[in-house]
Amino acid sequence: MLDLNTKKIKKNAYRITKVRGETASRIRVPGGLLTAELLPLIQNIAETYGNGRIHLTTRQGFEIPGIKFTDMEAVNALLQPIIDKLDINQEIPGKGYTSAGTRNISACIGSNTCPFATYNTTNFAKKMEQEIFPNDLHFKVAFTGCANDCIKTRMQDFGIIGMTEPQYQKERCIGCQACVKACQKKSVDALSVENYRIVRNTEKCVGCGECVINCPTRAWTRSPETYYRLVLMGRTGKRNPRLAEDFLVWATEDAIIKIVKNTYDFVNHYIDREAPGGKEHIGYIIDRTGFEEYKKWAMEGVELDLRTIVKNPIYWGGIHYD
Amino acid sequence: MTVINPYIPFLSEIVAVIKHTEIEFTFRMTYSGEVKPGQFFEVSLPKFGEAPISVSGIGDGTVDLTIRKVGKVTDEIFENYVGDTLFLRGPYGNGFDIANYKGKEIILVAGGTGLSPVKGIVDYFSAHPDDCKSFTLLVGFKSPNDVLFKKDFEEWEKNLNVIMTVDTPVDGYCGKCGLVTQYIPEIPIENSDQAVGIVVGPPMMMKCTITELFNVGFKEENIWISQERKMCCGIGKCGHCKIDDTYICLDGPVFNYTKGKFLKD
Amino acid sequence: MGYQTTLAKINAIFSDLSKDYVIYAPKRFVGDGTFTNIDTIRYGEITDLSEIEFAEKSNYSFKEVLLPISETLFYFTENEMKEADAPKKGAIVFLRSCDLHGLKRMDTIYLENGAVDTYYKRLRDKTKFILMGCENSFENCFCVSMGTQKSDDYDAYIKVDGNAVLVDSHWDLLDAALAGATEASVMPDSVTANNTVVTVPETVPQTLFDAPFWEDYGNRCIACGRCNFVCPTCTCFTMQDIFYTDNGKAGERRRVWASCHVDGYTDMAGGHAFRNDKGQRMRFKVMHKVNDYKRRFGTHMCIGCGRCDDVCPEYISFANCINKLNTLVNDSVKEEN
Repeated sequence: MLDLNTKKIKKNAYRITKVRGETASRIRVPGGLLTAELLPLIQNIAETYGNGRIHLTTRQGFEIPGIKFTDMEAVNALLQPIIDKLDINQEIPGKGYTSAGTRNISACIGSNTCPFATYNTTNFAKKMEQEIFPNDLHFKVAFTGCANDCIKTRMQDFGIIGMTEPQYQKERCIGCQACVKACQKKSVDALSVENYRIVRNTEKCVGCGECVINCPTRAWTRSPETYYRLVLMGRTGKRNPRLAEDFLVWATEDAIIKIVKNTYDFVNHYIDREAPGGKEHIGYIIDRTGFEEYKKWAMEGVELDLRTIVKNPIYWGGIHYD
Repeated sequence: MTVINPYIPFLSEIVAVIKHTEIEFTFRMTYSGEVKPGQFFEVSLPKFGEAPISVSGIGDGTVDLTIRKVGKVTDEIFENYVGDTLFLRGPYGNGFDIANYKGKEIILVAGGTGLSPVKGIVDYFSAHPDDCKSFTLLVGFKSPNDVLFKKDFEEWEKNLNVIMTVDTPVDGYCGKCGLVTQYIPEIPIENSDQAVGIVVGPPMMMKCTITELFNVGFKEENIWISQERKMCCGIGKCGHCKIDDTYICLDGPVFNYTKGKFLKD
Repeated sequence: MGYQTTLAKINAIFSDLSKDYVIYAPKRFVGDGTFTNIDTIRYGEITDLSEIEFAEKSNYSFKEVLLPISETLFYFTENEMKEADAPKKGAIVFLRSCDLHGLKRMDTIYLENGAVDTYYKRLRDKTKFILMGCENSFENCFCVSMGTQKSDDYDAYIKVDGNAVLVDSHWDLLDAALAGATEASVMPDSVTANNTVVTVPETVPQTLFDAPFWEDYGNRCIACGRCNFVCPTCTCFTMQDIFYTDNGKAGERRRVWASCHVDGYTDMAGGHAFRNDKGQRMRFKVMHKVNDYKRRFGTHMCIGCGRCDDVCPEYISFANCINKLNTLVNDSVKEEN
């Protein structure tokens, strides 16, 4: 005889599945990077309490299906070393995940490995996780190392795309135009040649770093500061799937963290409490309140770098099925 | 001790401009030093930069530099007129040594602008026809509109055996057509194993011409070529003209074929 | 003369020398590498020996001190030329044995092959060279194969060991400055073997120039020129004329490094290029480094620093190419016999 509070179960990062009596446990892995020693622990849960299978989620977590609702407590105990090792904020140790609304913070492989990445996406993702979890509001945040956007940040509520500001030392330039060709063929064609030297169109430049990567003499190098493009309110879904739009360009880490945190206040204030399951996506809330109102809340106390460009107003497109 | 800076050019005055075609002009420049046909000057072209240009004629206190408007490289010079000046460096390279050809039967085969570096040789034997046994000038141009040194041809035809051919005729043209190679067997030569061949032109033309000269009995040690390359500094430093262990700007551009045949870019 | 002294003393001496000399040494440029959070070790000005990166091989050689990447030769107006001024100070360059041999290759081209290069000579004449020892071979080094692992042709050898400094001076100014220091017998550290061993073929027959061997490189090389730019013996340059005004009559002429791998190197005014194929460009470079140069000047050009192998983004190994070429040459000789 099962007598369950499904809301509490879902908040504890378990799923109500189509199989009566069975749930699935979601393991969050901020930044999508974990040490291999955790895999046997996940394997053990799947083999002891699940059906021996593990699903890799789109948000870079693990989902272990086939767990009996009655085993949730035992599973929570086994999750604890994983939660500890991955440094997940938790209210009551031993009781599993404190919430599940704010989804795992995903990230591309980033500058630990990828030659194109302009920053350590894992580290920023972990930092963001520390700042916003265990919030239970439905937020999706993802980090990507460069404008290639391999993690698909434009389908998130918040997408953070790395940028570097190319530094040009003209006395190291030989005019080989490797940067010009790379920018033209692989990026946005922001470079031109004047008197054998390179001119960067700062309005066009997306800070991808192709010029730096392709320069054979170190005439192009990266700025010591990493900058980010913050894109907002992309989403999938039934009503109006759409790509995220630029909000800040050449933004700093602090500004981005502050804006995401401010957004929780905004959502808490404006969320439709009558919405099914008490859940309403941020994007739809902004659609209701208007972007200006959202911006007022989001920018509260945010200090912008002098370089930061703020896009205003923002119009989203996408397909409307409603 | 002051070391002479080999990169600093000197001023030279344009004393005459001769238009050959829509894109090819000869600039007669003041220069009073020693110079040989086949040598070249680095010419500073306004709004562009330096380009290596062969000496296409040697006068009393002047040198002729025939410049072709190709790409944006040499466009700007055509804005200069008599009395204007240009910066020059040179002459560079070894050049042709006319003494090597005196008293010989000579066939000089040139393709297009390849005539420039050898024109001094033609001029010399045209003025001194008794200094050689015979002299045949065989020149190929793309079309009658591309013919260079038209006035000079009139002069050369007086004393030399001149064969001019074009790849593509135009209406009204009644001269010879076809590749230079097809005319080589027709050239009367008494002792081909003693005769001198001088060949300058595009790489493919030179290769085919030399093959044809071998066919009619020329020896490789009697064949001379000039290699046009990207001579950027002219003084063995910049590396652009290097082929194998040879710097074209220092050791060439004129080579006896015994050496020239080994030059592989 | 050999001396043992202290780091403080030698720094004081160099501080004094810096009145007349700019001191160049391999330095770590944090984050200046190709990729994020990757450093570059290249030559830069130092004021203190602690700035020198002794522990690693520099990515770029010292050559940019004597042959600046971009160097203005002169300024011009319609009727006049003015030679660009030379730096007022001389230079002191810290470098390893292989690079010191590289200096000889640069000297040969710039002081001997054709006219003396004024710009090189005026820097070279005022430059002092300080040898850095090699206790261990670095990755991809093959100096022993090229016979460049040792050099006595230095103005001084300096070894820093904590606070102790060993000096072997061939330079009177340094001897004078070190007067009173403890005399010592100082032998420069040098390696006797490398992991990479290269066998250079005695001669490479021209019949191999078109061998399929080179096609593999044609498919792999991306013509970026990095191998040339890091090489201490690559000395090619290209002229650039800069015009300040619309009429094009005033400006400056400078020269910049050039690479035989990069597009445009052999392009003529009319657009014809003599070596379009990247495999043939590889052949040209390889032959220059270990064959052509020797025929003209008597020594191999390559000094075995292995920087080209360190830097190639396509993992083309020059060292392995020479070894494979050697095998090819031997095989072709066998076939003929």
